[in-house]
Amino acid sequence: MVLFKMGPFAITSIVMTTWLIMLALGVFSWLATRNLTLDPGPLQAMLEGVVSAMEESIYAVLPDRAQQLLPFIGTLWIYIVLANLVGVLPHLHAPTGNLSVTAGLALIVFLSVHWFGIRSEGLRRYFRHYIIPNPILLPFHLISEITRTVALAVRLFGNIMSLEMAALLVLLVAGLLAPVPLLMLHIVESLVQAYIFGMLALIYVAGAMQSQQNLELDDKGDGNE
Amino acid sequence: MNFDWSTFFLEIINFLILVWILKRFLYQPILGVVARRGAGIEQTLADAKRIETEADALKQQSLRERAQWEEQKEAAKARLREELEVERERLMGELETAVAEERERRRVLDERQQRDFKRAIEEQGIAQGAAFSARLLGRLATPELEAQLYALLLEDLRSLRAEDKRAVADVAATSGLQLKVQSAFALDATRRAELAGALSEVTGRKLPVEYGENPELVAGFQVSIGPWILHANLRDELKFFSGALRHAG
Repeated sequence: MVLFKMGPFAITSIVMTTWLIMLALGVFSWLATRNLTLDPGPLQAMLEGVVSAMEESIYAVLPDRAQQLLPFIGTLWIYIVLANLVGVLPHLHAPTGNLSVTAGLALIVFLSVHWFGIRSEGLRRYFRHYIIPNPILLPFHLISEITRTVALAVRLFGNIMSLEMAALLVLLVAGLLAPVPLLMLHIVESLVQAYIFGMLALIYVAGAMQSQQNLELDDKGDGNE
Repeated sequence: MNFDWSTFFLEIINFLILVWILKRFLYQPILGVVARRGAGIEQTLADAKRIETEADALKQQSLRERAQWEEQKEAAKARLREELEVERERLMGELETAVAEERERRRVLDERQQRDFKRAIEEQGIAQGAAFSARLLGRLATPELEAQLYALLLEDLRSLRAEDKRAVADVAATSGLQLKVQSAFALDATRRAELAGALSEVTGRKLPVEYGENPELVAGFQVSIGPWILHANLRDELKFFSGALRHAG
């Protein structure tokens, strides 16, 4: 539903919801981190726990690039969690239940994989892994890149949209309080889907940043054989 | 399932902006304070390690100082033992000297006490001998014995030395001098006249003679010529005898 137009862009309720999430996150972050101390209070301890847990998750996959990837992967986790959970609130729809949003996120992940891979390995060395061990594998690599990006977008969109749709159908068929268990499932599913999306993005990025390393290891393995 | 390109592009832009917002206002401050805390912990650990190292060094130094102190203590104890030994030797020497002096003093004192006791015994013996002799002579004192003593008195008067006679004569020259003759028994007139003649011969002049009886003389005579007293009786002889024995002892 288009609310208004801003130049060539039509501002829909989904975009407006996204802006609200961004505003809430920005204001909360600014307020919460204004007076950080070495002796943390409950809120600071919670925030440190969340950020540290995300950093440790990234550290487990890419030990030497954890702080470099934290803003991107961490924002994916936080934004998708909130975008999924917004659908629980009355009169609001989860932005991630829209294919345009999830496609945009998947495209960002797709571009980030190449961005971090090229920054890590260099342009020539990075793209070399598409034709190794054999140039015949290039089409399969390209198909894999496209399909996994599409899968990212469709998986998140399908899960969230189906949850909202199912809750709506149950509400229409069974009455006012009947969808409550389904909404609880929505909460769990929101966390799981956010984790899956962010973890897959992390694995894709890690694969791109370590592609040359993997190839060198494969070459050494072949040489040993 | 409508796909909206505006939403698609705006979502991309929104997400990139959100990445910047969270990086600027969430991740950097949180990671910064965590890093500061980590640095503080590292600093605390480093300080603790440094303090531990210093404590170990102090402990080692304390152990060394304690070992040195033990050595000094042992040396001081050895010196003290030597000084005590020297002092003990000195005190033992002084004590032995004092004991020797005391023993000598006691020996001298014992000797003197023995001498005094011996003298007292001798004096007692002499006194007893004199008393015994006096009692014996008292029983033997008779006019006959006194007659013999009278003869002895006359003999002594006649045998006086020349210088004694001059001295007696000088004394007799004193005016108003009276001769005194005491005897244990009464003298008869004959002997009185004979004795007066003998005294006149000694004094060189005729002087009055006062005769008297004194039983304490036991037997014999005592003649007084002024300060001169001539003894010829048993009592005085016994005294002279006793005195002679004492002086001889």
